Amino acid sequence: MIPERLKDRFVDILLVGTMALLILFFYVPIVTLVVFSFTDSRVLTFPIEGFSLEWYGELFRKPDFLPAVANSAIVAAISTVFATVLGSAGAVAWIRYRFRLQNAFRAISFLPLLFPQLLLGVVMLLWFSVLGNWLGFSTGLATVIIGHVVYITPFALVIVAVQVYGFDETLEDAARDAGASGWEVFREITFPLLWPGILSAATFAFLLSWGNFYVSYSLAGTARTLPIFVYSGIAVGSSPIYPALATLNFIPALVLVFLADFLRRRALKRQNLATA
Amino acid sequence: MRTDSKSWRDPVLVATVAPLAIVMLAFFVIPLVMTAVLSFQTTQFYRLTWTWDLKVWTEVFSKPHYWTIMARTVAMALVCVVICLLIAFPAAYALATRLRAYNAQIQILIIFAFLTDAVLKTFGWILVLDKSGVANWLLAHLGLGPEALNLLFTPTGTMIGMVYGLVVYPLFTIYLSLARIDRDLVLAAYDSGASRLRAFFEVTLPLSRPGLYCGAVLVFVLSLGAFLEPKVLGGGTAPLASELIRQSFETRVNWPLGAALTLVLIAIGALSLALGAAVLMRGNSGRAAR
Repeated sequence: MIPERLKDRFVDILLVGTMALLILFFYVPIVTLVVFSFTDSRVLTFPIEGFSLEWYGELFRKPDFLPAVANSAIVAAISTVFATVLGSAGAVAWIRYRFRLQNAFRAISFLPLLFPQLLLGVVMLLWFSVLGNWLGFSTGLATVIIGHVVYITPFALVIVAVQVYGFDETLEDAARDAGASGWEVFREITFPLLWPGILSAATFAFLLSWGNFYVSYSLAGTARTLPIFVYSGIAVGSSPIYPALATLNFIPALVLVFLADFLRRRALKRQNLATA
Repeated sequence: MRTDSKSWRDPVLVATVAPLAIVMLAFFVIPLVMTAVLSFQTTQFYRLTWTWDLKVWTEVFSKPHYWTIMARTVAMALVCVVICLLIAFPAAYALATRLRAYNAQIQILIIFAFLTDAVLKTFGWILVLDKSGVANWLLAHLGLGPEALNLLFTPTGTMIGMVYGLVVYPLFTIYLSLARIDRDLVLAAYDSGASRLRAFFEVTLPLSRPGLYCGAVLVFVLSLGAFLEPKVLGGGTAPLASELIRQSFETRVNWPLGAALTLVLIAIGALSLALGAAVLMRGNSGRAAR
């Protein structure tokens, strides 16, 4: 009896330990960057010799990264709106409707997820270059936004689809029986019920776009987003301003993730109260 | 889930489907067709000329150099799949069975790490794996030999980066199929005298197969396009297909060649997808017949 229980304990520890190690693994480079951002030395060796805020100062004395931040923000904001709207509408059609050519629609709206990002970028770059030759434009922020929408929409679609799947349609029927019009049903019932999923999708979309390197790298032309700025910087040689830049870059993401989770929980709680 | 049959005359259907379909057709399907078309053209003096011939394709198939790199890419992808599944399965199992109380917190931690800028994370790995980096400092302090590990600029460095970027996908697909398993099935196995190990191998593992296959296929297909990892962490010593494709576009300005190599890589990915789907189908029908 005791060996059996001991074996169970051992399995428990092994399983939970794997998860703990995995989380540690995920945060090794992130924590390392944060630690290095506070170094007082120019060379990035560990352990760091002393603590200083020198590199944050350096960053603000020479703010040549700010245009890249602005570009990233513009791209992420616009891509998020398009990807979330297209993905949410697509998710409803995926799960709730049956129509001709549905499988073709499912295939083309999901396949970009299975595409290595670099190939997605290259394939679109070819198309935009040919189009640009014909119509007289060159790649820039607009093509980056289109690329991000193609790459991110399938993620948004999957996230909203999960929400649509768990949807209780009797609530819609009840509203209709009570005399609500089609638009009223959508506004008062359908949309609020899907809102937590849409919110998660939008957060995901924003951060995927904000941190995207591959698609932007292929399609940006001469424009630079933050990841491209960092990439061309570390290609030249590592400097302690990049860990500082990275740490600053984590803050909005952190805030956004926790804010979205808070809003999602609140919406879920309201729903549970409403349906209980 | 109830579904509504809709005709294309219904404006609601057009409004939900058409915008997404048009975006994907215009910026995903047509570009793919265009890539295929371009691979039959040639370049002269760094300019594209519209001639329909097989020059590029004969070059692709006659140079073993390209195929060495393709084979290396596939080999790296396969190793990456095995490592990712070996890590993701126990972790997902722990998440589904042992850590249910902390699920929300763990998921947020993982999603935040996943959504962080890939370039920054790769840069972070340089600082960790460097000769005077965190990993070697830690190893030295644990008393594991005085000689420093040289992980940076080796295929091992590339592999660490690839696993790091992709292990999230199987973690979530496996978790989703484990979470859907009806607990009563496992309890029924116990009731009929199965040991915990036997119940795991006869009930839990077969039922988590969809998640395992989906995760494996995702990791495989996505690792075919790994670019930052071999370049930044591998130091470009063992280039993978993505580097080959980038060079034919940027350094050699030979777009038809780049297009052809892209298609080869897509074909490898598509074949493995088809294979994965076939295996999954057979598994399902086999179970239904039993």
